[in-house]
Amino acid sequence: MRDYHGIIFAYHDEPALRDLTANRTAASLPFCSRYRLIDFALSSLRNAGILDVGVIMQRDYQSLLDHIGSSKAWDMSRKSGGLRMLPPFGLPQYHTGNYNGTMEALNAVSTYIRRIPQKHVVLLLGNMAANIDLDAVIRQHEKAGTDATAICSEGGPETSHNRYILGEDGLVKYIDLFRTGNWVGIPSLEGYVFNKDKLLELMDICQARGLYRFHQDAMTYFLYEIGGKMDVYIHHGYARIIRSVDEYYEASRDALTPAVRHELFPADRPVRTKIHEHVSTYYGEQAASRNSLVGDNCIIEGEIEDCIVFSGCKVGPGAKLRGCILMRNCVVEAKARLNFVIADKNSHFSANSVLVGSPKLPTVVPKDAKI
Amino acid sequence: MKKSCIAMLLAGGQGSRLYALTQNVAKPSVPFGGKYRIIDFPLSNCANSGIDTVGVLTQYKPLQLNSYIGTGQPWDLDVSDGGVYILPPYLGAHEQGSWFTGTANAIFQNLAFIENYDPENVLILSGDHIYKMDYAEMLREHLEHDAALTIAVQQVSLEEATRMGIMNVGESGYVEEFEEKPKHPKSDLASMGIYIFNWKKLRQYLIEDDADPNSSKDFGKNIIPNMLKNGEKLWPFRFKGYWRDVGTITSLWDANMDMLSTTLINLYDPEWPISSRSPVCPPHYTGKNAEIIHSIVTEGCEIEGRVENSVLSASVRVGEGAKVLYSVLMPGAVVEPGAVVEYAIVGENTVIKAGARVGTEPDGSEGWGVATCGPDITVRAGAVVPAGAMLYTGEEV
Repeated sequence: MRDYHGIIFAYHDEPALRDLTANRTAASLPFCSRYRLIDFALSSLRNAGILDVGVIMQRDYQSLLDHIGSSKAWDMSRKSGGLRMLPPFGLPQYHTGNYNGTMEALNAVSTYIRRIPQKHVVLLLGNMAANIDLDAVIRQHEKAGTDATAICSEGGPETSHNRYILGEDGLVKYIDLFRTGNWVGIPSLEGYVFNKDKLLELMDICQARGLYRFHQDAMTYFLYEIGGKMDVYIHHGYARIIRSVDEYYEASRDALTPAVRHELFPADRPVRTKIHEHVSTYYGEQAASRNSLVGDNCIIEGEIEDCIVFSGCKVGPGAKLRGCILMRNCVVEAKARLNFVIADKNSHFSANSVLVGSPKLPTVVPKDAKI
Repeated sequence: MKKSCIAMLLAGGQGSRLYALTQNVAKPSVPFGGKYRIIDFPLSNCANSGIDTVGVLTQYKPLQLNSYIGTGQPWDLDVSDGGVYILPPYLGAHEQGSWFTGTANAIFQNLAFIENYDPENVLILSGDHIYKMDYAEMLREHLEHDAALTIAVQQVSLEEATRMGIMNVGESGYVEEFEEKPKHPKSDLASMGIYIFNWKKLRQYLIEDDADPNSSKDFGKNIIPNMLKNGEKLWPFRFKGYWRDVGTITSLWDANMDMLSTTLINLYDPEWPISSRSPVCPPHYTGKNAEIIHSIVTEGCEIEGRVENSVLSASVRVGEGAKVLYSVLMPGAVVEPGAVVEYAIVGENTVIKAGARVGTEPDGSEGWGVATCGPDITVRAGAVVPAGAMLYTGEEV
């Protein structure tokens, strides 16, 4: 057994994800024709041999519970240890409202964290599309011998990130909060390897001072007040934290590029997911499918281009789809035309219907909608 | 625990008429229809029919079959008071063990397994048939007609009947005569090799048959004729749906092509799913210039070229400008840019290098046939594999 325990934050329901998180958390957002975002965190842990994992959730977790099930898909259904879903149970005040921040979420499950038999915890976001090699992270962490290692991206300046600025010793010296644009520092992917006792100390001080945020409160205390030592691990592959419809749409489209897809789904670190497909996808006599990702169990008789199609979808003859995401079991009837549409599960588009969004502002169609 | 019916699946056949495809694996674990292996059909039928205890009799190259079946979880057969069991031949401490010498002998050697469940009836299945059948329906008829044995039968043409085991049914509706490959068939009801026996009766017949040195220990040749001779009640269960034996290259290719038509056999029916162990690959990707027409494609595939009237298994790659027509590509097969694969079966992980040609369309000549490449072969760039060819693993092409 590895001396590491996984904690996944799956409680976020980001307002900017609008209808997509009406009934689910960002972590259970369907992604890339067959996955949910949380599959990346679960698979990263599984591929590093970390099978003892707590998933912090708070509200709208029906779809998350349904997806994870017994956690067999990630080999986390164990006789001892394995995966635990963690609803708020620490203190009564956590049962209402949203968690204000990560430290509050951790404190809400503090009894669980105190009982973790391992000495180290790996903290990961449930709503990130990235295949992180945690084996490599842990190797580097052990070599550095620090209290913590932050998982960071070499990534570009285009989205807002917390950034770490390193000192001469190569360890973190300063933290810059939510910077957008071309600033100095290394963007954080908000994943950490932490010494458990040190993390408990941070949780305790935040509790005592009424603080609840991870980066603003806990990390500033850790870095500036107690001089905590933190190393930085750079993840070189693709990584996107999904907090808005734009980010979701962009990351989905990115996966159409072979290079991105191979970084997200490398053969030696497979992304595992719950399996419900029993049958292949059928392409009809008039079908055309260009630059698209398609799940199993679909019947494609129309034309799709630059699309992400989840399993169980039907695209009727003469239908034309461009730049669309169709989640599970959507039906697009004959001759319908959809451009730049994100259709949530079970949406139905009747024959000849037309719906046009734009690449910058895709139209989101909520679950079970009939058009 | 007492069971009403358990299943015994005969998966020990060598499948010698599939040549290169069964060079290293048993016939039931040959990939089929995109997502499946042949054995998925009887296993899924069992699960869907509510039969939760299945013994799988293996003896020929069972390694891949064993690891494929595993705990039986993909078919929901991982239950605590039953499940799926791999039953290889074994040696006892005192008695002499041996390979299974016939279909009846295979069951006889596993009397102890069956007695463990003390079932009222035993369903005997083959591991090389493609079909969807509700065994619960068959069991209901079996019990209703108080039969010692119920045999699934299908109507065939009289010409086909000369190559099959034919049941002659009397006025009572029970089977009165069984003829193996009759020259002049008296009936068109062919046995499908699917039997439900009353276990007490079968047990007695197996023990008697084992003691007979002249018996070839076969259900069709010995057990069924003996039961008829003794006047046991044999009921024919008439099955009308799709059913194919896939024991030869041609029949395997034909049945794969049938999977492109939902009117022959509907694999999309959520009421009767055929399940399989999934490799969990990313969704399939169709490239900017891909053309896919009247074909089935599944997870892990990357298609840049043209695919027409074909069945593609998981993780198949078809390069830019390559053509795959009327072909069956097994898991991990690669067709490099510019290569052409026509009327062919390409085995697991076989690579057809750039510009190579495998198979040709039917030209009416006598020598024409489906070209077959076994698994793990590399067909060199520009090489030509003619129609009807059979390439074995390890051969240089």
